[in-house]
Amino acid sequence: MQRDLGGLPLAPALRARLVAAGFQTAQELLDTGPCGLSKEIGISKEEALEVLQVVRQECHGDAARTAGGLGATRKCTALELLEEEQAQGFIITFCSALDNILGGGVQLTKITEICGAPGVGKTQLCMQLAVDVQIPECFGGVAGEAVFIDTEGSFMVDRVVDIATACVQHCQLIAEAHQEEDHLKALETFCLENILSHIYYFRCRDYIELLAQVYLLPDFLAEHSKVRLVVVDGIAFPFRHDFEDLSLRTRLLNGLAQQLIIIANDHKSAVVLTNQMTTRIGQSQSTLVPALGESWGHAATVRLILHWDNSQRLATLYKSPSQKESTIPYHITSHGFRDVQPPAVTQTAEDTEMNPRKRPRREEEK
Amino acid sequence: MAAKKLRRARLSQELCERLSRHQITTCQDFLCLSFLELMKVTGQSYYNVQKLLCEVSRACAPKMQTAYELKLRKSVNPSSAFLSTTLHSLDKVLHGGVPCGSLTEITSPPGCGKTQFCIMVSVLATLPVSMGGLDGAVIYIDTESAFSAERLIEIAAHRFPAYFDSDEKLFCMTRNIHLYRELTCGSVLKRIMSLEEEIISKKVKLIIIDSIASVVRKEFDTKLQGNLAERSNFLARGASVLKYLAEEFSIPV
Repeated sequence: MQRDLGGLPLAPALRARLVAAGFQTAQELLDTGPCGLSKEIGISKEEALEVLQVVRQECHGDAARTAGGLGATRKCTALELLEEEQAQGFIITFCSALDNILGGGVQLTKITEICGAPGVGKTQLCMQLAVDVQIPECFGGVAGEAVFIDTEGSFMVDRVVDIATACVQHCQLIAEAHQEEDHLKALETFCLENILSHIYYFRCRDYIELLAQVYLLPDFLAEHSKVRLVVVDGIAFPFRHDFEDLSLRTRLLNGLAQQLIIIANDHKSAVVLTNQMTTRIGQSQSTLVPALGESWGHAATVRLILHWDNSQRLATLYKSPSQKESTIPYHITSHGFRDVQPPAVTQTAEDTEMNPRKRPRREEEK
Repeated sequence: MAAKKLRRARLSQELCERLSRHQITTCQDFLCLSFLELMKVTGQSYYNVQKLLCEVSRACAPKMQTAYELKLRKSVNPSSAFLSTTLHSLDKVLHGGVPCGSLTEITSPPGCGKTQFCIMVSVLATLPVSMGGLDGAVIYIDTESAFSAERLIEIAAHRFPAYFDSDEKLFCMTRNIHLYRELTCGSVLKRIMSLEEEIISKKVKLIIIDSIASVVRKEFDTKLQGNLAERSNFLARGASVLKYLAEEFSIPV
């Protein structure tokens, strides 16, 4: 009740008038009443009533918080957090080595950033995750929907169809092997049309549309409460060219990161961003580092860097709060993201066939 | 979308006037400000500013489509998803041909046949749909002055002798290929920006730029400081306009 006026969400002009009239705490405002307030600072009675309602709402919220009720500040012990984290699901990537280094898969409520040179597989991984998030719970998935925000225009529906078909086939094989009731029931709804209709696609052409979309996301997620994955494919693209004012860029990016963190936590969904690489020119050589600068590096909780090593694609876990840094090889087949088959096994035609859209980096092994 | 005036975003008249006094007239200016600045500039309370932000965002945010709708739209018109190059192995690897609606880049050392490929694809695009073409005009932006009309007619006559049996047909085909010779980066960019209206008026179904690297390399020397940033700016701007054109009109670039 002794809350200072400066902390109340009032319009600045109004606040200036209240301060000029000598009010200092919220209690004084409430004591005066609407008519007295309107006479003292020269506003209409309705406006005075509005102000008092706002003040009352804020104070009520304060009181509830101090009384230990459920307020906006989430207070909980580490034990509760542990139980929550253990019960949380992961979004698998179908590449078991990648899932291992990530500690089970892409985590919900965390922001994961995927950086890499062009053509290495970032969008492929995002499309794979958008399909994998919809795997029913009995198969080990989170049974959620996906929001795909595309800034580069590299989302190819046909490719998603390929990946989704392979995923459904995989689940069908598991169901046949185990022959359990809920498996078969889940398979009825896990079909191609359903998978595609639960991927919500937004095409943002520049950074303003991206900002606008992220502002509107909380409302969208409130309507579609089953969304468990938000993918922003190409967060660097709209910010890299045409930006003279670097401080504005940093400010907008930080605001964006904050919004995404809030979305990830409130809706218990995973946020996946893809970033480009830029060259940092050192004293004697130049290295590839993630784009958008050092301050952006703090935004993501988990950072994955995809790169080439001659002709093998590698994924390195660059930053993670719970897993150690390691590198694993992976493959992109016509079915999507997969592990590298050990060389002893005879490779079938499907495994060596690369995604037809990728430019071939090595000779076909046939 | 970003340059949309706030007036059209359905904000109240007096609010727009107040904002224009602070030089905020488009959605872009509005969304670039932080919360506190917005409160100061609009003179509204926190909750009202949040609501205003949502309204302005709704005015410029893109429309939502599900992946299923995208697929349906593509499958309704399967022939228009790709432009077949008539080289069967290439088409197989490309999953059908040059994709409509996205940018395709062809690179190679000099002399391998990039310009020849471009000329052939222009001929293919002018063919009627029944023969695997796109039945439309072609915009060819040539920066190396390597386009030869004679070669064009030679390819057309030899490749499709049955179709181009008369001079009439050849002339018709060549009339549909619009050639623009641009020699500087600035003019290339200007040309790309002006393409939107041309595409609609001339019913263009294919855009070819041959080649983007030659202009860029001529003008920007990467050893000089600052040139690298300018060059990337130019390329990125050109690329985003081309992407927009490709997607908007569903044509290959």
